[in-house]
Amino acid sequence: MYTDYIKQGMLEQHNVEVEFVSIGRWTEVDDMNTALAAGDAPDVCVTYSYPTIAKYAQMGGIVNLNDIDGKPLEEYKDILPNLWNLLSPTNNIYWDQNPETGDLWAIEATLAENARINTFIRKDWLDKLGLALPTTEEEFHDCLVAFRDNAETLLGADADKMVPYSTSYDIGWRNDLLFMAYVPDDAKDEDLYIHGFDDRHLLYPNYKEGVRVLNKWYNEGLVWKDFAEYAQDSSHEDDMMKAGFVGAFQHNWDYPYRGGDDSIQANLQRSAGDDAAYIAVDCFVNDAGVHRKFLAPPIDRKVFFPATNDEPLASLLYLDFISDPETIAFLQLGKEGESYNAVEGGFEKLATTGDWLQNSLNNIDYTITVNGLYLGDATAVTTALGYAPVASDLINVANAAAKADGRIVKVFNCGDIEAEQEYGTQLPTFRDTLLNKAVVASEEEFDAVYDQGMQDYLDNGGQAIIDERTAKMADIFGYTAE
Amino acid sequence: MNKGVIVPDGRRGTKSANFKSYMRRYGTLYLLLILPLVFFIIFRYAPMAYILSAFKQNNIFKAPWELPWAKNNGFEWFIKAFKDRTFHNALRNTLTLNLLDLACGFPAPILLALLLNELSFRRFKKITQTVLYMPHFLSWIIISGLALRLFAGNDGLINILYKRMTANPDASIPFMSKPNWWVATYVVLGIWKEAGWGTIIYLAALTNISPELYEAAAVDGAGRFKRIWHVTLPGLRPTIITLLIMNLGRILGSEFDRPLALSNKLVTDVSHVISIYVYQRGLQNSQFSLSTAVGLFQSVVGVIFLIAANSLAKRMGERGIM
Repeated sequence: MYTDYIKQGMLEQHNVEVEFVSIGRWTEVDDMNTALAAGDAPDVCVTYSYPTIAKYAQMGGIVNLNDIDGKPLEEYKDILPNLWNLLSPTNNIYWDQNPETGDLWAIEATLAENARINTFIRKDWLDKLGLALPTTEEEFHDCLVAFRDNAETLLGADADKMVPYSTSYDIGWRNDLLFMAYVPDDAKDEDLYIHGFDDRHLLYPNYKEGVRVLNKWYNEGLVWKDFAEYAQDSSHEDDMMKAGFVGAFQHNWDYPYRGGDDSIQANLQRSAGDDAAYIAVDCFVNDAGVHRKFLAPPIDRKVFFPATNDEPLASLLYLDFISDPETIAFLQLGKEGESYNAVEGGFEKLATTGDWLQNSLNNIDYTITVNGLYLGDATAVTTALGYAPVASDLINVANAAAKADGRIVKVFNCGDIEAEQEYGTQLPTFRDTLLNKAVVASEEEFDAVYDQGMQDYLDNGGQAIIDERTAKMADIFGYTAE
Repeated sequence: MNKGVIVPDGRRGTKSANFKSYMRRYGTLYLLLILPLVFFIIFRYAPMAYILSAFKQNNIFKAPWELPWAKNNGFEWFIKAFKDRTFHNALRNTLTLNLLDLACGFPAPILLALLLNELSFRRFKKITQTVLYMPHFLSWIIISGLALRLFAGNDGLINILYKRMTANPDASIPFMSKPNWWVATYVVLGIWKEAGWGTIIYLAALTNISPELYEAAAVDGAGRFKRIWHVTLPGLRPTIITLLIMNLGRILGSEFDRPLALSNKLVTDVSHVISIYVYQRGLQNSQFSLSTAVGLFQSVVGVIFLIAANSLAKRMGERGIM
């Protein structure tokens, strides 16, 4: 139904025929490599990885958007009104423009929802133990200790399954709020940019001290002991939350509420009673007394045209059509009465099957120029209602907490960083190894393990990227660190 | 001298007539061969042309023969790999894991086959064999899931029992989280999965040993172990040698799903093998030339080991495989 709408719309408005090519949701780089190498990649491609695009561009496999039929993108502005309305020229359209050559290999889609991470805690356990919602790291720690020490009260026969605080091997993402509370509030945008290529903030100043706290908690028996042994895609941790064994954790801002009837929250209520609930708390405060969260800049996925695209103009018109507010609203909501009902101030989505079923949340994989619900003033209400049967109050609390005191680090466009293309994809492995080992180390060994791991990280490309970014910042923006 | 063959009508044929009659008789067999040959040429030999990309500049948009040579006389990628510490680790881990697999995993099916062979209750033997084959059909992804439920440091079944037995809630064996323990788990799981399947070929060889030899040995007063030592094992020798040679040819080859599925971030120092290196660098980081170079290196070393083991076997009086 949704694809038909796009095909028909493009045919009627621009006389362009659209064909969809499906690829793996989490393996798009592998799949695109194959398609590009075979020369049969679709005319419009989307990926989350800019270094991948930069590498394709270097090999001559991508259309330069500033050289379509010899003209820069700016010349086509008038026929692309929706694209220019939706995207900001500086933040999205020309974000990736090379400051020296003017080449433009990709357009950045916008991120409509920039909430990232929240801390969740079992509200019903706090009530049972007579504890208030924690407002500082110390109070949060006290809650975890209370969970640990009262396992029998809280879990009865399952007391030995108690996990006061759970995390996964993805330490950087899953404890970000704890760690970010240790970053000095006066850290400069320039320095954070130079050290910000790791999307888990590993190289931010004073990060180690945050990890040290988690290491201490681990050694106090507050953290799930086996977290490092369960790999990606394991549902074991979710299952523990659903069964009601986990007291607190940090995760994506709406994580326990995702999936409606099958969400962690809905399952938790089934297994631990109607009172059971994870609630978002905002309790990590930095040196300036602020609940600092580093939010993502409003850029997200990257759209590019492979060199085999012989009608780039038609592809641009496609981007314009897909950015039309009317198109976006239809793709995200569907049809009134079938897939949503209008309510005061927004829309309530209905459970659907068949034609109206969306193959990704809010059809974000069709609305390639915007990621997240984009309905103007109706967005907030619609978001809160979008998690039924989870109560909308929980969603509102979580959404507000995730953005409170948010900081978006300014990004400096330094063009292509070669070391990033070379090492960018292998560094996360070194990061995860370092953080996992450091967390499970004994408190005495913590420094040695952390420093050794950091040395490996820097030796295997981390330092090279820092050096190149530092040099470019000096060249282009005249910035030198103190 | 033209030997010729006797053609059906009894006359000595000329060369072309010989060929014609030969084809008349066996032509259909050659016809049958065409399909597999085409398969091998298209899917096995033609792609080998892309080995060239190990010596060329990295570009997925062009065929390797259109590309300029890589730096350092085409050896840029090899030099790069050998300067890369990650590759050194991967090479070391591949060798360690494969040698351990060979030392522990190779004798396992032989012992198992000997044990099975000594079983006289046929029905029990058949059932045991079938049960032993089963793990071979499970993928490593499934096994890794099972392994975690059994071996996880805290809530794995074995550690739960261990805690109860020692009455110490903090007792735990780090099967999956300490490098040495992980290697042991890796090897043991490999034996568990493949030993049963490996017995098939030995059991087949055992059926070829003449029962008269056993009878003669028994008459000479040989007990059960003497018979195994002097009759069964010598009978298995050619099979053992053949399989050993083939195993040595894979000494630098590495499985992909096994280390990937069993690994976790605490043991990457010992679990990161060449195939994972190739996957990360080649597929995820689009450095196809580098990963082709590494793959080529692996194959060349494999062939050298294969030939060396083969000639060694021949020198020791065995038949070898080539």
